[in-house]
Amino acid sequence: MSVRHAILGLLAEGPLHGYELRSAYENELVPQSRLNAGQVYATLDRLLRDGLVHHEVVAQNDRPDKKVFALTAQGRDELGRWLGHASKVDLDLRNETFLKLMVARRLPEGDWRGVIALERRGAFERLHQATQARARADRDATPLSITLLLDLAVLKLEGLLEWLDRCEEALGKETP
Amino acid sequence: MTTTGTRTTAIALHGVHKVFGESSTRVEALAGIDLDVGAGEFVAIMGPSGSGKSTLLHLIGGLDVATSGTVAVGGEDLASLNDDQLTMLRRRKIGFVFQAYNLVSVLTAIENVALPLIIDGIAESRANERAGRALDLVGLGSRPDHRPGEMSGGEQQRIAIARSLVAEPVLLLADEPTGNLDSVTGDQTMRLLRRLVDEEGQTVIMVTHDARDAAMADRIVRLRDGRIVEEQTLPPVKSGADVLASLEGLDAPEDAP
Repeated sequence: MSVRHAILGLLAEGPLHGYELRSAYENELVPQSRLNAGQVYATLDRLLRDGLVHHEVVAQNDRPDKKVFALTAQGRDELGRWLGHASKVDLDLRNETFLKLMVARRLPEGDWRGVIALERRGAFERLHQATQARARADRDATPLSITLLLDLAVLKLEGLLEWLDRCEEALGKETP
Repeated sequence: MTTTGTRTTAIALHGVHKVFGESSTRVEALAGIDLDVGAGEFVAIMGPSGSGKSTLLHLIGGLDVATSGTVAVGGEDLASLNDDQLTMLRRRKIGFVFQAYNLVSVLTAIENVALPLIIDGIAESRANERAGRALDLVGLGSRPDHRPGEMSGGEQQRIAIARSLVAEPVLLLADEPTGNLDSVTGDQTMRLLRRLVDEEGQTVIMVTHDARDAAMADRIVRLRDGRIVEEQTLPPVKSGADVLASLEGLDAPEDAP
């Protein structure tokens, strides 16, 4: 995920100051996420340095001046380039579960069935939460950003569980 | 009926074995099953094909008899019932939902739903009234006069569910209920079953190979080689936002400088 491009995207809707950017990212763009303030300002500094945004200092009564950031033409081009290119697919293939199974199958006392059972329980617990939260989301008019993330969570967990079934079948053939 | 704590036991299986064939063709489909399901509980039975899950469902539904052990539904030991009593139990206490909807194509939705009551000798007006309520429950109250051929697969499965509920059974048995449905209508069907449990206190036992469907239950029972090898009670559900907060990957990563 590229915070840099997310910020360009938010600024494409209109100028914002740092605090507004952070709050729009956390509340509207990527629900339930956290973006620390230091990261927002460090990213904005780099975007300024690269000429992708510019800023204006706005004087405020009784308060310190605030910087309002806006997209430059170059920034708009960079945003277009990012949107127009395929993302690197996040497959998370060599995960912890895989590693545990590969270790367990090599050890004489390795309980790979136990590993599968534990990983499956964890995945089912989360899938139970995600499917029912997803069902509620339809009833409660939850923002689209949340329902789409829940869909992704459900489908990934489903895939993980199906893969665990295959592992069980294949490892069972290896060591009946 | 027996009670454990404050909860009534809807079904109780103890030491259940089921053997098919003899000597060289002998297969032990169930090899000692102990299982209690409380009233208002939603249990999913999973396991690879040949693990005994359909056999188990058939025994609970009184469609087949155990070789040994006891199967009790609503406190009644099925082995103590004669054929007529077993038929009555199936008709009045157990609802069945299968992968195939098994609807009568020449009958309308409400006629299909009312059919079990008509067969049971209940007057047509009373049967239709109850069938109308069952159709309301599955969200098809406004389409009583449509025939199965005029409805989508998901709607036909909902009629089948209404039919299974019309006698107000103590137990609903579902065998791969989303097997013929696409993922959207499958989800809708599972949500309907979940709502029946949450809002109507319906007890549901479902056989499925689908993880997403099983995850809608309160408990997952996993069979292998005719035995229960794993049981998992799933925790109560949080809000969508809480669920998302518990999933990783939403915090912004550091960009390269």
